[in-house]
Amino acid sequence: MKRTVLVLGAGGYVGRKLMGALACCEDIQPTAGVRRMSSATGYESLCLDATDAGALEKHISGFDVVVNCIGSDPTVMRDSAQALLRAAQAREPLIVHFSSMAVYGSSCGLVDEQAALRGDIGAYASAKVEIERQMASYARRVILRPGCIYGPGSPAWSSRIAQLLKARRLGDLGAAGDGIANLVHVDDVAAAVIAAIRAPTCEGETFNLAMNNPPTWNDYFISFAKALGAVPVRRIGERALKIESRVVAPALKIGEMILGKLPVSVALPPFISPGLLGLLRQDITLVSEKAERELGLRWQNLEESLRVVAAFENWP
Amino acid sequence: MISDARALPDATVIQADFCLVGAGAAGISLALALSRSGCKVLLLESGGEKEEPATQALYEGHVVNPALHSPADSYRQRRFGGTTTIWGGRCVPYDPLDFEARSYVPHSGWPIGYDEIARYYPQANRLCEAGVFDYHSETAFDRPLKPMIPGFDQRHFTTDTMERFSCPTDFHVRYHDKLSGPTIQVLLHANLTRIVLSEDGNRVTGLEARTLAGNGFSVRASCFVLCTGGLETVRLLLANRDVHAQGIGNQHDVVGRYYMCHIAGTMGGVRFSIPPASIWNGYDMADEGVYCRRRLALRPEVQEREQVGSFVARLHHPRITDPRHGNGILSALYCAKPFIAYEYAKRLFEEDPASLKNWAKHLQNVALGVPDIMGFAWHMLRDRKLAARKFPSVVIKSRAGLYSVDFHAEQMPDPTSRVGLAQEKDPLGMPRISIDWRYMQQDVHTVQRSLALLKQDIAQSGVGSFEYDPQSVEKEMVRYGAYGGHHIGTVRMGASPRTSVTNSDCRVHGVANLYLAGSGVFPTSSQANPTLTIVALSLRLADHLHSRDFSGT
Repeated sequence: MKRTVLVLGAGGYVGRKLMGALACCEDIQPTAGVRRMSSATGYESLCLDATDAGALEKHISGFDVVVNCIGSDPTVMRDSAQALLRAAQAREPLIVHFSSMAVYGSSCGLVDEQAALRGDIGAYASAKVEIERQMASYARRVILRPGCIYGPGSPAWSSRIAQLLKARRLGDLGAAGDGIANLVHVDDVAAAVIAAIRAPTCEGETFNLAMNNPPTWNDYFISFAKALGAVPVRRIGERALKIESRVVAPALKIGEMILGKLPVSVALPPFISPGLLGLLRQDITLVSEKAERELGLRWQNLEESLRVVAAFENWP
Repeated sequence: MISDARALPDATVIQADFCLVGAGAAGISLALALSRSGCKVLLLESGGEKEEPATQALYEGHVVNPALHSPADSYRQRRFGGTTTIWGGRCVPYDPLDFEARSYVPHSGWPIGYDEIARYYPQANRLCEAGVFDYHSETAFDRPLKPMIPGFDQRHFTTDTMERFSCPTDFHVRYHDKLSGPTIQVLLHANLTRIVLSEDGNRVTGLEARTLAGNGFSVRASCFVLCTGGLETVRLLLANRDVHAQGIGNQHDVVGRYYMCHIAGTMGGVRFSIPPASIWNGYDMADEGVYCRRRLALRPEVQEREQVGSFVARLHHPRITDPRHGNGILSALYCAKPFIAYEYAKRLFEEDPASLKNWAKHLQNVALGVPDIMGFAWHMLRDRKLAARKFPSVVIKSRAGLYSVDFHAEQMPDPTSRVGLAQEKDPLGMPRISIDWRYMQQDVHTVQRSLALLKQDIAQSGVGSFEYDPQSVEKEMVRYGAYGGHHIGTVRMGASPRTSVTNSDCRVHGVANLYLAGSGVFPTSSQANPTLTIVALSLRLADHLHSRDFSGT
């Protein structure tokens, strides 16, 4: 008999990719939980407000597993997690919850799942920590802490980076790019979810998800730029980065807010926020041996994956 | 952690696992590599975060022949980052032949082979930010490059090997964050004044250091490494005579001898008969954004056959000082001479004062070349002054196909070319150095024979002609004297204390826990600039130190 799985946040990048992977599993019957029907994924879908505990309880009653990959603003993440926990009390489905490496905050060095949750790098990180603490009260949970999820069309770590590399606004950043890029391919993330669903021994466990021997951000940018053909890679100095984060980023953010009020959708170029610059310097390496051991994960080869991602990003 | 020794209470004692002296390319590379093991690394640096005249003046010394060697305090920086704060960024690995004992190069032969260093070159290249470790244009580029000289018969020379250019990376700025980590303590304004040896002289028990502010402190560590450059290391070893009367590691009077730089100069005129636009004397940019430049490198088998040292040549602009070149940009550079840093001005210009007639001709060139000068100024502003990765040098393409030949050659090791101590002392009571740099007739032979082969190849290839006065080769090659601030060979490595100062691990003969890092330990100079190999050798030293147990020392 197939396990029924509801994916909350299925309209997002990870949710869509996950739906595709789940649909390929003979033992899993996935349903996409989306906020608007316009976000429907082509799979069996439910339109629901994930922050409404009552509605959620009604909808999840028939599911063996709920995957929570709602990753929007901190308030929505908090409200939807609380609603999910309340709704799950009656039937106690397995919850696979997407947390983030952001929970480790400004930690440095090798970081495994036992490391302290600092969450001291902004509202997103502190919300993720708070939600994890709430999730701890629910026994039938698996918490995933992915690093930076890349893959064809990944908005944050592939498409945005590709745009910035092509515009020569990112490149070799010198000391500013010495941080570790804890990359994880979206297919590996999906594989982790599937393994968590199938392995009852994983209930109650937490897993870091990031590739082995991760590159520095500089190495990632240079490799990606080469794959994209965005060469020669530009060396970007501290002065240019300051202008990006202190002048260009606020201007684009304001522009984004103004344009967001217009009836038509207008896309602005991506910006490099101070938070992003902080991450690019951070010398933190996620240790994901537990995921390899207990979920049986084998990470995608970065170089090969970048060729595929670059082909996607260069598609006219 | 980075702190200031001037803030230490007098007579403080600092404990560390490794104590490194000198925060330049060698010291910083070594500190970064050692710190990964979790050992406590103390890095003493004489200077501060910026150049300080009083500290820099500690490098002053006596030069026996000022026409042949620049002042002792030039081309090297006594500050955090060392000479990487002013270097040009040229990275070139040594060739396998450079490590071999060659019958025609006296005192040649390293106690280690090329493979020992080659393992560390990729990481060294990375630290120098010179891109991928591939120095062959045929494999380093995915795209076909424009030939350097179409139709040139590469019988004696190859145009395949190339130089890569660092940003140039200032190791102080670039690795400041990493050096601020918990396992490294960088102590600024700390001048080593005494190496304290055990009574039997077989090990270092500590160091004594002082600041120019007057306070002093001492260091206790398991292992000590001097990373102070090929000149200062000599001073430190020779000045410490309380246990070893001849100085540390100097039982056989080797310390300071075999002093080499490079032999460099600009010769003659090449007139190409092929279309000038087909000649490429500029930089190629690798995909990772690194400037690369091909050159004419004398093939190893030709060096052996002709019994000459290694030699490379580049197509260079005509001599700047001679206004007959008619080039507005070159004349403008000539007029800007007072504004160009000493280290570069020395290379660009000559000492001979220009006549009024020549000045007038230079000014005429400038007046007629205003559009070219403006384009050049914009290029230098955008690609050098404001760029994070700087365009490495002035490259002028000749519309008439006229060039001079800029060469860079190996200097042979010569025990009479030496660095010693002068009578005068610096404000810390340390004797100043005395530099007696010399070259040999074999050095002249290397340049003479190489230029003759180049002339022959250009002529026989039918691409043009290379005219120069063979009688003036020696005069031209010593015009710049000991070139490049490359201080090599003074504490050379080798198998025997009779002919060397350190063993193949860079440990001072007879002292269990004292090591030397830097180009001073190179037994031969190659044609290659030393920084990349300094870094590679430092990384090798770090691996060796990791493998050693110093608890018994």
